[in-house]
Amino acid sequence: MPKKIVKGQELSQPARASARVLKRLYVREIPDEEKPAEALKWLDYYRKDRRSLVMAMESCVKCGVCANECHAYLGTKDPNNIPAGRADLMRKVYKRYFTVQGRLFGNLVGAEDITMDTLEKWFSYYYQCTECRRCGHVCPFGIDTCEVTMAGREILWGIGMIPDLQGAASAAVYERGNQGNMTKQALIETHDFLSDEIEEERGFRMEFPVDKPNSDILYVPSSADYLLNPETLKGACQFFEYVGANWTISSHMTEAGNFGLLTEQHSVQRELVERLWRTVAELGIKKIVFGECGHGWRAWKMYTPTLTDYAIAGSGYDYHNRVPIVHIHDEVAAYVKMGKLKLNPRDNRLAPVGKSITLHDPCNYCRACNLIQNLRVNLYASVPEVREMTPNGEKNFCCGGGSAVLYDDPEMYELRGKFSLKKVEQIKATGADILCAPCSICKAQFYGVLKEYHHLDIPIQGLIDFVGAALVFKGHRQI
Amino acid sequence: MAMINIGGKQVEVDEDGFIQDPEIWDEELAKGIAPLEEVNELTEDHWKVVRYIREYYLRTGVAPMIRMLCKNSGFTLKQIYELFPTGPAKGACKIAGLPKPTGCV
Ligand code: SF4
Ligand code: SF4
Ligand code: SF4
Repeated sequence: MPKKIVKGQELSQPARASARVLKRLYVREIPDEEKPAEALKWLDYYRKDRRSLVMAMESCVKCGVCANECHAYLGTKDPNNIPAGRADLMRKVYKRYFTVQGRLFGNLVGAEDITMDTLEKWFSYYYQCTECRRCGHVCPFGIDTCEVTMAGREILWGIGMIPDLQGAASAAVYERGNQGNMTKQALIETHDFLSDEIEEERGFRMEFPVDKPNSDILYVPSSADYLLNPETLKGACQFFEYVGANWTISSHMTEAGNFGLLTEQHSVQRELVERLWRTVAELGIKKIVFGECGHGWRAWKMYTPTLTDYAIAGSGYDYHNRVPIVHIHDEVAAYVKMGKLKLNPRDNRLAPVGKSITLHDPCNYCRACNLIQNLRVNLYASVPEVREMTPNGEKNFCCGGGSAVLYDDPEMYELRGKFSLKKVEQIKATGADILCAPCSICKAQFYGVLKEYHHLDIPIQGLIDFVGAALVFKGHRQI
Repeated sequence: MAMINIGGKQVEVDEDGFIQDPEIWDEELAKGIAPLEEVNELTEDHWKVVRYIREYYLRTGVAPMIRMLCKNSGFTLKQIYELFPTGPAKGACKIAGLPKPTGCV
């Protein structure tokens, strides 16, 4: 995307979705002259709908605490990337139209009219926030700038300003039920290939069932695993085989992620929720287990109950009360704690003795979903040596690719590199040999920037990968 | 969205140069795209990779898993990068006329 110049300032922006993609998303692009007024209508809508947004708009005292906590600001030193600065881009407009002082005194009190320039800035800076919520964790008022970013992106979506990456992935969700455009045939061929690998490694075969009726467990992997993360799929398969689960993967709903949470909750996020419940009904599922995806887990764990209304699930609208939704690492940890999984950390194909592993805590797991302890239960049981990063857990730094700012056009790629400076510093300080990143976006970000941008050549694995490889089988099914 | 001239044909491509209509792909077009991906000449080794990707795409509607691509075409990832300096997903898939991979990739 060529740089946009707004009032003498250069703006980096992701490539925009084409008319063709907008059509697949059922989005009408509003002509530029009408965009500001339309955006204002949406802002009015979201402020009435979301108290978290109003709180962010009204209570910041500019104490500055958040500045040095945001990896995007630390990496770029761009004041608009200070969380409070990022929120200010919207706050000025909010002040101008929705507060008495702003309406009366305008720019004297820092209020600003909404124009096309404002929206271009939003399109730049709301896509330079990775929605990691580290700012929300430290703000003394609990202001979560991620909520501002979400609203900003949704408003832009409503007027047709959508990045090609998020747009194309969401179109794939409507058409194929996952962000990676996977088809049933692709799942089957990939599974066959992975079953062959497991057979070579273990001496016996394990299958990945697809759309199997009367399954107890629906496993929902991240669609990106089918392109980039073979060991993550194999790890999950070996775990289910070990515990003797009656499980299946669905070709109708093959997505642990949900970009909808990050960019458009009204239709994209709902589409996958609807697909989930339809699959549960069709296959008679009793429990849903989600694979490795940070933001996705937040979307499924925290938002599914409220999104499961009658319009989505019909007569099964109380599904969310009857069919538990769990994360694969909570599931595995429960077995580990009961002593029911035999894991040998000293015989792990992916983490040989002598190698140390460091864990990158995906932000959404640890600042939104309470997975910090269980990730460690599983990791420590599966690998020979762990070296923790500092800070970690709920204080971790983002990988720099969060909310799928995985753009590869040169300026945005450069920013991805800068956003990950803090993380790379942390990884290097551990001196570990292998990086464990149990989230698809984190993996994609690390595959993309570690070697090429930071010249750090280190293997990257998911966490269930290590669990699968450390399982001690004596033949099929152990429990 | 832009129209570019590839080997004498006007072709519609996206921001990243992926052709928009996978149906119009043929070997001539592949030869035209190759230099844009830092591949000066498509050798037999290149064709092995490109044909595998193309056939997989026609069967399944999507690009193959990188590891599967390596094993089934008989090259290591390093060799694939030597053949296609811009990488398997961006270089080889583009030459094979696939749409840009989507999602967390
Ligand atoms: S920490 Fe909270 S109150 Fe302080 S500047 Fe940041 S957002 Fe505003
Ligand atoms: S959510 Fe993360 S990236 Fe966004 S402003 Fe807060 S700290 Fe920065
Ligand atoms: S991509 Fe990973 S590290 Fe980054 S925000 Fe998401 S969960 Fe956090």
